[in-house]
Amino acid sequence: MKENTEVLKTLGDSILEYIKRKPAVPGAIAVTVVIAIIIGIAGGPAQVVNAIVAGGMWALLATGLTMILGVMNVPNFFHGESFMVGAYTAYFIFTPIHLYLMDNPNKFLSTIAPFAGFFAAAVIGFILGSILEKLVFYPLRSKTKERWVMNSFLLTVGVSYILSNGVNLVLGPNFRGIPRYWDVPPIKFFTIRLTVDRLFAFFLAMVVLLLLWYFMGKTRTGRAIRAVSQDEAGAAMVGININNIHTLTFSLGTSMAAIAGAALLFMFQAYPTVGLRPLYYAWYVVMLVGLGNVSAAVVGGFIVAFLQTATQQFFGIEWGEVVPTVVMMIVLIVAPSGIFGSEVKGIQEQ
Amino acid sequence: MIKSTGKASTIARTLMSRTGFSSSGIILIAILAVLPFIPPFNSEYILRWLVVGAFMAAQAVAFDLTAGFINVVNFGFAAILGVGAYTSAILANTGPHIIVQPGISPWIGIFIGAFASAFLGFILGFLTLRLRGLYAAIMAWFVGIALLGLARTLTPLTRGSLGMSPPSFFDTPSNMPYYYLALGMMITIYIVTKLVTTSHIGLAFKALGQNFDAARASGINPTFYRVFNFTLSCFFAGLLGGFYAHYFVSMTPKAIMHTSKSVETLAIAFIGGRGFLWGGIVVAFPFVFLLEYLRSALPQLPGIHIIIYGVLMILVMIYYPNGVAGFITELKKKLWRLRKPEKT
Amino acid sequence: MLKVENVDSGYDFLQVLWGINIEINRGEFVALIGPNGAGKTTTLRTISGLLKPKGGRIFFKDELISNLPPYEITHSGLSYVSEDLNLFVNMPVYENLLMGAYIIKDEKKIKQTMEYIYELFPRLAERKKQLAGTLSGGERKMLAIARGMMSNPEMLLVDEPSLGLAPYLVRNVFDALKTLHGEGLTILLVEQNVNATLDITDRAYIIEQGKIVLSGKSKDLARNEHVQNVYLGI
Repeated sequence: MKENTEVLKTLGDSILEYIKRKPAVPGAIAVTVVIAIIIGIAGGPAQVVNAIVAGGMWALLATGLTMILGVMNVPNFFHGESFMVGAYTAYFIFTPIHLYLMDNPNKFLSTIAPFAGFFAAAVIGFILGSILEKLVFYPLRSKTKERWVMNSFLLTVGVSYILSNGVNLVLGPNFRGIPRYWDVPPIKFFTIRLTVDRLFAFFLAMVVLLLLWYFMGKTRTGRAIRAVSQDEAGAAMVGININNIHTLTFSLGTSMAAIAGAALLFMFQAYPTVGLRPLYYAWYVVMLVGLGNVSAAVVGGFIVAFLQTATQQFFGIEWGEVVPTVVMMIVLIVAPSGIFGSEVKGIQEQ
Repeated sequence: MIKSTGKASTIARTLMSRTGFSSSGIILIAILAVLPFIPPFNSEYILRWLVVGAFMAAQAVAFDLTAGFINVVNFGFAAILGVGAYTSAILANTGPHIIVQPGISPWIGIFIGAFASAFLGFILGFLTLRLRGLYAAIMAWFVGIALLGLARTLTPLTRGSLGMSPPSFFDTPSNMPYYYLALGMMITIYIVTKLVTTSHIGLAFKALGQNFDAARASGINPTFYRVFNFTLSCFFAGLLGGFYAHYFVSMTPKAIMHTSKSVETLAIAFIGGRGFLWGGIVVAFPFVFLLEYLRSALPQLPGIHIIIYGVLMILVMIYYPNGVAGFITELKKKLWRLRKPEKT
Repeated sequence: MLKVENVDSGYDFLQVLWGINIEINRGEFVALIGPNGAGKTTTLRTISGLLKPKGGRIFFKDELISNLPPYEITHSGLSYVSEDLNLFVNMPVYENLLMGAYIIKDEKKIKQTMEYIYELFPRLAERKKQLAGTLSGGERKMLAIARGMMSNPEMLLVDEPSLGLAPYLVRNVFDALKTLHGEGLTILLVEQNVNATLDITDRAYIIEQGKIVLSGKSKDLARNEHVQNVYLGI
């Protein structure tokens, strides 16, 4: 009996110790759980499920954003436009197939048709990322590294406006959306009704994140990406072509945002500035958990999604941007390097 | 006698150089002052472009005070300008569409609006105090998003996205008085910022902008200088916001407070040249003309001007980070060197 | 094997090296000695490609390398262990070693080299799974040299391995270098610990204010009056 209390005591002590060292981590998780419970009581479990689905997507977006930040020190402002490009790509690939299937029903084809859209979005996002990296960031990098973070940030701002206005110019401001990817009845789970599209969006986000985790941890190229983010000179010394790694990272990050845009097409119709809100949320996540902290971005995605859902639940949809923004401002003041700590070197300089 | 005139001319010269008016600068102002009387600029249509040019130029100068000196890019600039505009517009309101009808003259309201913006700048200065470059920019961006959101949600005061129609300054359809008002504001803002930046305060700004820690270690009080910088810059933003409200007499949150508006100002200031103040003035007028021309000549290409802004900004930032003003300064130096040997 | 021909180098507007000439044959163990700020590190950074020379040429195995990016120089068989080590601090020891073998595609070969390295530095074998950032100073130096060896280089450039180490650890590091040299590795060692360095190397260059002022057999240099006065304090 006495031994048991001893064990409990040491366990409690070590937990306290951890909380003292990193008070924000359990705090953030506790707050999220509390918010989730409140949402669940006030809005029903469906709201909680919706928040989890959104959280998966914000996690995917924020991971791409924070990867680019961690490896290249580029704070990407056009991440939302990558999302937009993905949404458009999926629309233009999926819609013709869908129309064809309306005349020629084919069960197998209609099951896999959405994948064509996702895949195309991933590829187009990847290509877009490579082109922009070679065209914009590579020249700046080879010119000067002075004030790199700020200058590259401003370049991404420029790219962002070129992309959204360019799309507006070519395709016009009209909304292009689809009612749903899979025309099947929603899945019922107790009182929760979940459409297959939502379920699959979440599933896709998790699969991509898992693949990324495997790629970064277990493959030669993935390790090289991490090496570059930790020590660029060291990476060059062991024979890594830094420029290629930069281009690859940028393309991967852009591609992930494009996948998110494609997967959420049933919710966010494609239009030139559709990327704005996803951009906000991705940045909220990144600022919340700390710049460049890839693994924490996944947790952060869910925290932000719950925050967003709670805001809409209790303040109304028109406050959807104000409340999270104010929360993030407080985070920035209290913990500028995020609640999980930043892993980017040199970003505090200047 | 000779001595005293010599002294007077020295004083005049120092004053001129401190306020940043070289002979070419004075010529430029003179040209701008008489432009509305010279065809084709005397048509109301083109006069409107000139007003927009002066308005954009003044914004670029106020923006550069923060971006070019303490090295913080204020992405909330447009939103804070919007606060000035809305304050002045609400104070001037007499109509039934919103809940208050103070009916204060725009000439008073514009200053109250400017002080409201200055107060926000003061707060923003404190909020970004401990933050460096990127973090400060993101903080300003978040503040901008929150302010825009507020302008949209506080419908009893702002009518939200429906927008407001504040009264105009002058009871005339002519753009002429507005042009001189905008030009006067631009020159005033330029002189004040130049006086500030050429004094010891400006040195402190530059020191803080270049190396925050070293500046603080050498005894520069970052709190005072950063907050002062933001307050002043945002005061001007608010003043210009008031001008916007009572010149364009129609406004929506998105049309003035959106981040893209801050980016337009940023583009002009940076293409003009960071930290030169006058770069934005040189660039703003031809830009507004070119872009307004494009907009009217190519109405089938909406937003083409923003694309051009973006492309030019990227090119300047990569290949000529000192901008147009840097280019002119270097050209002048080269000419000076060419001229000098001939004299001796 | 390595030939540095009239190389000028430096940073932006500051020239550090003025017409440096160095020639190293296969299998030699050569030292580059000089006071602080003489340009030793600059020399190594220029050879390894991290700095572009402002003038002159560098050949490795009779091929011009001074116009190549650093990663291609590593591919050609030249490995650089820098003064600040440039370890990947958030990776465990074994991943750092794997990164060192980045240019080798043959998994079996990597495994063999890694076993050999663990034999040479048993300390690293013990700390396989520890993050590089949490190692002690001596262990980090070991890891940096080990990582440099993982690419099976033909030549190793080592910058001040003794800096900030306790004497017995310096001995360890030098012993490791000696073993590697014994197995046929060509080494260019930059050091301030002149006594010990001249003891283990075949030849040495003395660099002062960006110029090579003396060179010769290490044994002879140890008896040279200038070297004794300035570096050995005799």
